[in-house]
Amino acid sequence: MSLLTAVSRRSPRALVTTVVLGVTSAGLYLLLFLFSDMLLELAAATRRGEKLAALVPVAIAMIFSFVHGAFTGHFWDLLGLRAKK
Amino acid sequence: MDNIQFIDLNATTALILFLVGFVGGMVSGFIGSGGAFVLTPAMMSMGVPGVVAVASNMAHKFPKALVGAYKRNKYGQVDVKLGIIMGIFAEGGVLFGKHVMVDIREAFGAAGTNLYVSLVFVVVLGIVGLLVLRDGLREKRGESVDKAPKQLNPLVRWVRGLYIPGTMIYFKSMDAKVSFLVLVPLGFATGLLAATIAVGGFIGVPAMMYVLGLPALVASATELVIAFVMGLGGSFFYALDGFVDIRLSMIILAGSLFGIQIGAIGTTYVKDYVVKFVMAVIMLLVLVSRFFYIPGYLSELGAVEQLAAETVRLLDVIGEGTLAFALILGAVMILQALYQGMREHRLAEAVATLPETALAGAGAPAGVFLNAASTPFAAPAASASPLLSPLGRFERFLVASDGSQFSAAAVREAIAMARKCGSEVHVMSLVATGVEHEGLGEAILKQEMDMAQAYLEQVREQAAAAQVACETHLIHGQTVDQEIVDLADHLKADVIVMGRRGRRGLARMMLGHATAQVIGRAHCNVLVVPRAAKVEGRHIVLATDGSRFAETAAITAASLARFCQAKITVISVIKPSYGVERRVEAEQAVERVVVHMNSEGISAEATVLDGHPAEIIAGVAREKNADLIVTGSHGRTGLERVLLGSTSERILNETPCAVLVVKAS
Repeated sequence: MSLLTAVSRRSPRALVTTVVLGVTSAGLYLLLFLFSDMLLELAAATRRGEKLAALVPVAIAMIFSFVHGAFTGHFWDLLGLRAKK
Repeated sequence: MDNIQFIDLNATTALILFLVGFVGGMVSGFIGSGGAFVLTPAMMSMGVPGVVAVASNMAHKFPKALVGAYKRNKYGQVDVKLGIIMGIFAEGGVLFGKHVMVDIREAFGAAGTNLYVSLVFVVVLGIVGLLVLRDGLREKRGESVDKAPKQLNPLVRWVRGLYIPGTMIYFKSMDAKVSFLVLVPLGFATGLLAATIAVGGFIGVPAMMYVLGLPALVASATELVIAFVMGLGGSFFYALDGFVDIRLSMIILAGSLFGIQIGAIGTTYVKDYVVKFVMAVIMLLVLVSRFFYIPGYLSELGAVEQLAAETVRLLDVIGEGTLAFALILGAVMILQALYQGMREHRLAEAVATLPETALAGAGAPAGVFLNAASTPFAAPAASASPLLSPLGRFERFLVASDGSQFSAAAVREAIAMARKCGSEVHVMSLVATGVEHEGLGEAILKQEMDMAQAYLEQVREQAAAAQVACETHLIHGQTVDQEIVDLADHLKADVIVMGRRGRRGLARMMLGHATAQVIGRAHCNVLVVPRAAKVEGRHIVLATDGSRFAETAAITAASLARFCQAKITVISVIKPSYGVERRVEAEQAVERVVVHMNSEGISAEATVLDGHPAEIIAGVAREKNADLIVTGSHGRTGLERVLLGSTSERILNETPCAVLVVKAS
């Protein structure tokens, strides 16, 4: 079964959900790269004693995990890669 | 401590990290434990200091654990209390482990922590890798190593028999009280290992299985709670000292989440010993790769004679090469196993599909298992019903059940209704696949499958006793509601029957749940049966708002009332703020329905009331001692449902009786 066949067998809703999640995930990664210097500065600031900045990486990890995790799950599902019974 | 050097990130390093994350994730999903033993050394090989590699790894793992724990808890496999308590003690281990790392770093510099992490890796991977290899060999020879113990081992019996006043806590997973003092060293050791190499599960899961006597399924699911609690705390503590390079964590996460799905799916296509072989090979190769770095670290620390820069560089290259080889070999072994397994499975299914298709339909034998992924859905045989219109037809019920007490009533009522209507019943159970399979191996997945299959078998027997034709479907999937709707479409089911969980308010709005989602998405009717509800055909309450959705509901209610010889109360509720015009419209709408019912020989009465629709409709149902509320659905899902709300859902929240949500075709 080709990938295109697999995709076409899924509902349009599944495709839309996957695309929306994919775009959101890509957007988050774009922001991560754009603000990477700021993130390094935050880590340095934490070492200098600004301890509240430690919450930033924890929050980023949570948000990315949920969005990107949902995307990858839908992505493989859309391509028809699923567990055997 | 400001001398931490985060690596420069460019397109090449990002791509390498992504690929490493992908393979690490794949290994993780395949062998059932965190891929940190691949990821941490790989990051270190790229020049990331040991402490930063461990901290960044931890930061990418804990949110995944939360998602996994949440999902597995829905299947009743998590002992949340035990997970949290162990997690808190593990936090102590993490704190201690982190201090050890920081102290070593301050005393001996980066080479000190690198050496420490490498040595722990060598010891742990050596022990675990050899044990896994031994198990794999024994299994290949046909000796079972996963036999369920007939009785608890002596250590478990001793732990459960230990009574220390004031420290005993009851745990539902063991159905016993255990002193929390026993949990202190177990949790602490788990946390200590996690803080050192970011893989606490190597201690946590075996400890829960062999010291506390938990089944593997519950131990691995509970480990996810521990991993979340200690990972959250650990990441935060490491972040407090600025050790978390969140850029690295997130790039690794990007690859890892793609890989983990492939690995987890791969386990379902291969034999258990294959998983163990792959695990042992990767572990032992990673161990070997670490050996090549140790002389360099020792030389840097001055513990051995100073090595020439070229020698150190050469050893590093060999180490990197060995690690790369381990990763590539692991990836190839997994992909090959997956490809082969899928190919064999497809061939087997192609053979099985023919008779299955021919037999599908009312006369089909029970116990036809479908795989939503790769079995082409065969259209059911054409209906022999005298009713040509799908409206109000109840010939094929699809019961979605998770085996819990919440869906027991749905199963019971579906069988009872099917018996009355002479309908056939399809019962489906879903085994989740997805991110939560981190921490799960094939053996555990198999247990889950066996449980679901045993449950379906039990339902099939229940249906057979009631002389109802029944087929069972064991489905794999990630999105429960989508799988239910897909199967209903495939079977051309007339009604989906589901249970109802007790969640209300904000939680329902934020999280939604399968029942609400199915109501929104289904193309056929949905009957929601709360735990205590019984559909006996005493009295039906039909809610109408005059819309085309309500008209369809009225036709369906009429069909049911005729069949059960039940009375119908047709109700329309208007809000106090509405004008006289709306009231007149509502009165006309209910009157029109009542006239139609009476013309069909059904006893019906009309009423128009003021107030909140859901409360009023539930109140009338209570007053009339009704056992079924029928309502139309506007089919809202997603944001629209959040913003506009769903009357059907609110009725479900308000009433203890069954609710049939009729979809306009």
